[in-house]
Amino acid sequence: MRRRYPPSSALAQYLLALLATALITALLIIVQDNLSTPIIALLYLLPVVLSTSLWGLGPGIASALIAFLFFNFFFIPPLYTFTVHQTRDVLVLVVFLLVAVFISQILGRARASAAAATAREREVTRLYELSTALAGQHDQHTITRIIAEHALEAFQATRVELTLEGQEGERVSSVRTPESALPSSASPLHQFPLQTARGLQGELRLWREQAPLTPAEDRLLRTFATQGALALERAHLVQAETRAKILEESDRLKSALLSSVSHELRSPLAAIKAGITSLSDREVYWDSPAGTDLLSVVEEEVDHLNRLVGNLLDMSRIESGALKPKRQWNVLVDIFDSALERMYRAAEAYRIEIDLRDDLPLVPVDAAQLEQVFTNLVSNSLKYAPPGSVISIGACPQDDQTLLVEVRNQGPPIAEEHLERVFDKFYRVTAADRVTGTWLGLSICKGIIEAHGGRIWAENRPDGLAFKFTLPLTWDGAQPATLPPTAPDQPESP
Amino acid sequence: MSAQPHILVIDDEPQILRALRTILTEKQFRVTTASRGEEGLALAAANPPDVVILDLGLPDIDGIEVCARLREWTQIPIIVLSVRDREQDKVAALDKGADDYLTKPFAVQELLARVRVALRHLTQAKGSPKIVVTAGPVAIDLTRHIVARERVEVKLTATEFNLLAYLATNAGRLLTHESILTHVWGPEAAGRTEYLRVFIGQLRKKLEANPRRPRMILNEPGIGYRFVADD
Repeated sequence: MRRRYPPSSALAQYLLALLATALITALLIIVQDNLSTPIIALLYLLPVVLSTSLWGLGPGIASALIAFLFFNFFFIPPLYTFTVHQTRDVLVLVVFLLVAVFISQILGRARASAAAATAREREVTRLYELSTALAGQHDQHTITRIIAEHALEAFQATRVELTLEGQEGERVSSVRTPESALPSSASPLHQFPLQTARGLQGELRLWREQAPLTPAEDRLLRTFATQGALALERAHLVQAETRAKILEESDRLKSALLSSVSHELRSPLAAIKAGITSLSDREVYWDSPAGTDLLSVVEEEVDHLNRLVGNLLDMSRIESGALKPKRQWNVLVDIFDSALERMYRAAEAYRIEIDLRDDLPLVPVDAAQLEQVFTNLVSNSLKYAPPGSVISIGACPQDDQTLLVEVRNQGPPIAEEHLERVFDKFYRVTAADRVTGTWLGLSICKGIIEAHGGRIWAENRPDGLAFKFTLPLTWDGAQPATLPPTAPDQPESP
Repeated sequence: MSAQPHILVIDDEPQILRALRTILTEKQFRVTTASRGEEGLALAAANPPDVVILDLGLPDIDGIEVCARLREWTQIPIIVLSVRDREQDKVAALDKGADDYLTKPFAVQELLARVRVALRHLTQAKGSPKIVVTAGPVAIDLTRHIVARERVEVKLTATEFNLLAYLATNAGRLLTHESILTHVWGPEAAGRTEYLRVFIGQLRKKLEANPRRPRMILNEPGIGYRFVADD
């Protein structure tokens, strides 16, 4: 801390003390005719007080001794010798020396304790800043970075490194500040373990060019390490709690899934069983209108069941990350058309409007997966929008990279707070028994679109609901090739 | 080929075998069944069938391998009937020589239609190839390179005609993008689906009544195209 009071080197301080004393001596020599010996002694206290308060005890004492010598040499007869004849002068000199040394000591001590108080205050401020920065942090990496940055600043270090180790000693996180600093081969000046209730968590290493840490700095750095360890421990506890909550949530979801799946699967099975048993027991005759009707119920329910199983399978593929789009350049409208072709019967009661320009660029997508997105979005619209209403699809490039696709219907709006959640698994906005088989459909869309690097969301419109999603227009950054490299467009021989 | 076409069904699911035997026998086919891959291969070698209906998930060897091993010595049509519904599975089976692919659960009419297509190709392979293929209002003369719609000639470029001819000679079959690209453009064009999209679009514009709802050249998303000709 001394270096904050220039001049910094001790020698310079002593020289300055000497200079101050010499200066006052020169002044006194000029005006000595008007001054008595006691006044001179009193004035000689000035450089002593000045030196002590500015540069500390050492220079103060030095100044007192020099003043004593100068006083004796220049002002006590016989002049220009260090001998003293009169007892009175001896007394003046001795009293002067005692007073000067005494004053220096008192001043020096006061100054030292003021400096210590300032240092303590600074220490407390550093700790306060550190703990404020650490408050509320739950991420290990952020915590280590904060500790390293604060230590770098507080100790004027050239480099601080903080490493965290996992259970098996593997390096979990490592922070170095400043980041540009190269890992030095020199061994660190100081290193402290980060010790928590779970054992050694890591280590804090500090390099600096100046003198080693003072005991006070050492204490502060230890406190830094302790604070850091506490923050890490807290982060660990928070994480553990979050994990427990997630597990609980996933358990809850699983049992919801099981009950939902068995309900969804059993309903069509019930219809099939009822239809088939009444036909095989001749309760209803095959070729009667009722029989034909029952058979079409059976067929529809089998298709429904097949779709449900397909959805479950897709969902598990999405969740295990096995749903990898097999991209090809595709015509968007072809994909939509083939989706519509398969839902032709269900969509008959609606007006389908296709607003896709002919010159729409090709899209690099997995056609089968995208067809499923369209199927799910349209079938969602069929379920919620009233028969006779319009379902429309549109698309326009947002820029060179992205295509925005929209499927709009005239169904009821969704409350704003549900708009995000409609893409969650097993989420259904209306009462469960009103519409069947919606679960998974939209979340599969989300999985597929995200696997393609796009985004999907829902928006309320003045007259209905719009599902919007984005698709890439480039594949590995490239546009589709335009023409065959060797255009074989010439009459070929038969 | 005897009066009753002979169908070999290889599937490990007894209920599927039972249902198929009942349905196909009812439709006047002679049916042999095998529940393992090796057994099916042996039966096919001992008494070559006219059509093979093949499941992929067999207990001993995978159906795709059965496909490949059949193709080592015979061109009899193979129709894959599997629960595997991913496009890569379908393309893999078609690449290994399968002629068609149907996912379970399937509609019987669909299966019968595919069997009929397979049998027709078989007779054509044995007899003289068809010279003129018709699909609704479109007639394609494969030897004279003339295409007409409603009896009016439609001008096609050489590439367009090559593409159409390849599709038409394989009418009813599911052709993968790769096989079309390599046949029409050559092996160096493999993977360039974008060419195909452009030329199929042009053909549809010239030949389909409503290019947006094609009736002649159908998409099989992620797999390829199927040309639908008149019976």
